[in-house]
Amino acid sequence: MDSPLARSRGVDQTLVATAGEAPREADLAFEALYRSSRDDVYAYVASMLRDEAAAEEVTAAAFERAYRKRSRFDPQRGEPRAWLFGIARNATLDELRRRGRQAELAAEPEDLDRARPQESAEEAERRVALTAGLATLEPRERELIALKFFAGLSNGEVAAVLAISESNAGTKLHRAVTKLREACNGSL
Amino acid sequence: MDRFRDDAELTGALTALRPTPRPAFAAELDERAAAGFPRRAPEDSAAASPLAWVRSLRPGQILMPVGATALVAIVLTTAVVAVEEGGSDGPAGDRRSVASELSQGPLVKPDRAAKRSSEPATGGATAAAEAAQPSVQESEVQVESSAGAPGISFESSPRHRDVERAAEMVLGVEAAKVGDASSEVFAAVHANRGIVIRSSTSAGSAGDASASFELLIPSGRLGDALAAFSRIGEVRSRREATADITAPTVTAAESLQDSRARIDGLLAQLSEAATDSEREAVEAELRGERRRSAALRARLANLDRRASLSRVSVRIQSGGAPASSDDSSWGPGDALGDAGHILGIAAGVTLIALAVLGPIAMIVLLAWLAHRTIVRRSRERALG
Repeated sequence: MDSPLARSRGVDQTLVATAGEAPREADLAFEALYRSSRDDVYAYVASMLRDEAAAEEVTAAAFERAYRKRSRFDPQRGEPRAWLFGIARNATLDELRRRGRQAELAAEPEDLDRARPQESAEEAERRVALTAGLATLEPRERELIALKFFAGLSNGEVAAVLAISESNAGTKLHRAVTKLREACNGSL
Repeated sequence: MDRFRDDAELTGALTALRPTPRPAFAAELDERAAAGFPRRAPEDSAAASPLAWVRSLRPGQILMPVGATALVAIVLTTAVVAVEEGGSDGPAGDRRSVASELSQGPLVKPDRAAKRSSEPATGGATAAAEAAQPSVQESEVQVESSAGAPGISFESSPRHRDVERAAEMVLGVEAAKVGDASSEVFAAVHANRGIVIRSSTSAGSAGDASASFELLIPSGRLGDALAAFSRIGEVRSRREATADITAPTVTAAESLQDSRARIDGLLAQLSEAATDSEREAVEAELRGERRRSAALRARLANLDRRASLSRVSVRIQSGGAPASSDDSSWGPGDALGDAGHILGIAAGVTLIALAVLGPIAMIVLLAWLAHRTIVRRSRERALG
């Protein structure tokens, strides 16, 4: 089930430049975590909120919360990415709760119906079918898809974020992907 | 028609649809990350709230000030309690109240005993005088009261009450100074307008030389007199007693009033008597009533004297000091006792604080757990 995972790229700026003294271990670890997870967190949040502005806001808030809590992170209790995505998930759900609406998942929130110049007709058809297939999934299934394929988490990390067992996460993911494939193949 | 032949093809297509951040947003976020994610005041109205501020604190940042505050509160409470219990007794103050000490008559150190007994009983001047007495070493101080609260103050009695007071005092002096001490007792009695009912002095060696005095001291000056006696020698014991004689005094006064009215009535009957036999009968009755009136007057006078004059017994002994001469100083033993006393108070205050804070902490913990559960469920509901 593990597919080629998307990882954040292009994050090369030095974080927490403390003058006169070496950065603490927690700062260095957080810097590495930020670099590896910035785009992944955004991808997950954006796919959950379907609102680019809100996604940016929530992504920034999630990193800010994580930064403030960085010294509280215990590596023995889990992976840093799972911890970070737990915070991002809470921030996302808080935003959804605040809006009073359910999570809706879309691949490209504002580009669903927009044609892509470089896209072939077949690719465009598959994209539309995929988007329609995603819409048929339950919200929790869509979240699984988002965590796995947009955020690029491993099954173990997904399990940690959702507080379920890894085998359970794998089973649910498999069901969600199968359901999605059937929905895509059955449409149009 | 199968658009996605297998899962790999599907997941590849999903990954291709992955949302990506705008370059401008990514650059802005990088800048904020480099700056350590400074708080954004305007839009973070929640972060500006007290609850958000508390949430942003680490457990150590909350527990340390709370613990320090609790510690300071315990120390301050302990200090206040210790000072209040010790009163003016200084660092080695006894924890028992003055009233209970006086009523129970415990052995206490002379300087403290003098202060404790004299402050409520004879006033501050006496306390200062007795506290300044260097030769006082150890004394037994006891106040007995047959009416009202135990250890009632001699001068704190309400004015409408008639209180009979009595005191006993044993002084210790050197055998050669018993005579001088006796003279000082006479002088003190004279200075306080008292009366020496009986006195005896015997000279001799240590243990044999002694003196005893039965005195009547105006109750209003009893405190000053006792203070003067205390300065004469080492106060080895001191006992004070009070008895409320208001009721018999009032009864006697009312009976006297009735008797006088009865006499007036008999005199009126006598003036109106028509026959000799009638006159003789009224005169006999009048004589009896006058005797009764005289007895009541005498009784009332006796009660007034008992209220106005206090009976004081002073004995002067030589030799046989009951305690070591340096016992009045505050030493390591006292320090140990005081330390234990303060630790006991601190433990008590801590226990009370725990008894109060424990349930509060439990309620806060339960509320926090409930809040977390509600938030978690609310988030899950938001997901659908």
